[in-house]
Amino acid sequence: MNPSTIDVDALRRLAIEQPESLSTRILALALCTAFLVAVLILVRRGRLREEYTPIWTVVALGTMVLSVWFDAVRLLTRAVGAWTPSSTLFFFALVFLLTVSLNYAVRLSGLSLQVKLLAQEVALLRQQLGSRPADREDDAPAR
Amino acid sequence: MIPPSADSLLIIPAFNEERSIGAVVDRVRATGLAIDVLVVNDGSRDGTPNLARKHGAEVVSHPFNLGYGAALQTGYKYAVRHGYNHVVQMDADGQHDPAYIPLLLEPVRSGQADVVIGSRFIEASGYEMGGARTAGRVFFQRVLVWCGGPRIADPTSGLQALSRPVVRFCCSDFYPFDFPDIDVLLLLHRQGFRIREIPVTMAPSPPLRKPMHAGLRAVYYPYKMLLSTFRSLLTPRVKLASE
Repeated sequence: MNPSTIDVDALRRLAIEQPESLSTRILALALCTAFLVAVLILVRRGRLREEYTPIWTVVALGTMVLSVWFDAVRLLTRAVGAWTPSSTLFFFALVFLLTVSLNYAVRLSGLSLQVKLLAQEVALLRQQLGSRPADREDDAPAR
Repeated sequence: MIPPSADSLLIIPAFNEERSIGAVVDRVRATGLAIDVLVVNDGSRDGTPNLARKHGAEVVSHPFNLGYGAALQTGYKYAVRHGYNHVVQMDADGQHDPAYIPLLLEPVRSGQADVVIGSRFIEASGYEMGGARTAGRVFFQRVLVWCGGPRIADPTSGLQALSRPVVRFCCSDFYPFDFPDIDVLLLLHRQGFRIREIPVTMAPSPPLRKPMHAGLRAVYYPYKMLLSTFRSLLTPRVKLASE
């Protein structure tokens, strides 16, 4: 095939305007609902603190909206110059995950510092109290 | 709080050093120096804290392993809280000779320096370092100079004496968890602290000891050190709060 005969714009338009299948929509909605339910269960069980939930709730609801209103994805695809809606979704998902990872790395760094400060305080306070023989058995490291 | 019996504190960070810690404390005691000895037990799982205490050292025990830098910093915090004017730090593996403690302390006591490093490489001391480690040492020596820091022959030496202002400064959150090397030296230099070196001889590392920068650490260490040196370069000068 001669590349000069291909209408690239028409091809791109075709890729963007491909109708999404009903099963994809249902699958996306089901996954988002399951995700939201999982977040709620984790909060109820106390394994996820409320302040960490907004981002996941927004992601789940946002994905729900996009799976119902797929034209928004097409609009976004045109805006960013991508060829297919799926590549747009993958791109933004990747950016989102990288941002979340960086955010958690920052939070972890802060927590590591806090743990270090606490451990040092514990060590110094224990030493201060440690003239009593009973306290000296506490030298064993925490498991 | 028990008042210090001397104006200087010797800090020995120790992690699983039961083979050597008793002998190290004994060697310090044998010098007859008026210096308090603090072993910072960094979460050892062996008899390090009990042995250190048995040999006459004061012991502070981390509840778990935090790292060499964090152990040193715990010692600094102890020194500040107990009112020590000078601090000497040495390793727990027996590499460092306590006979050098007075020589390290002298410039700090007389106000000629704030940090005194016991250096293996100012004079030929016969200390043998592997090829890769020598290359790393020379590289970081140059990085320190390129960043406007002092020319230090042995920037990784753990045998050092520090003045109280330096010790107070090192109690801040910037102090690394792991190995405080040229990043800390550059920061101290940029904060206006005077750094000096004196020649010392050191025993080689014990043969059974796992090298500090082996395996993946050999890659991570230069990366981390360059990054934290860059951070030191950008850290503005801070004023210490009055005591």
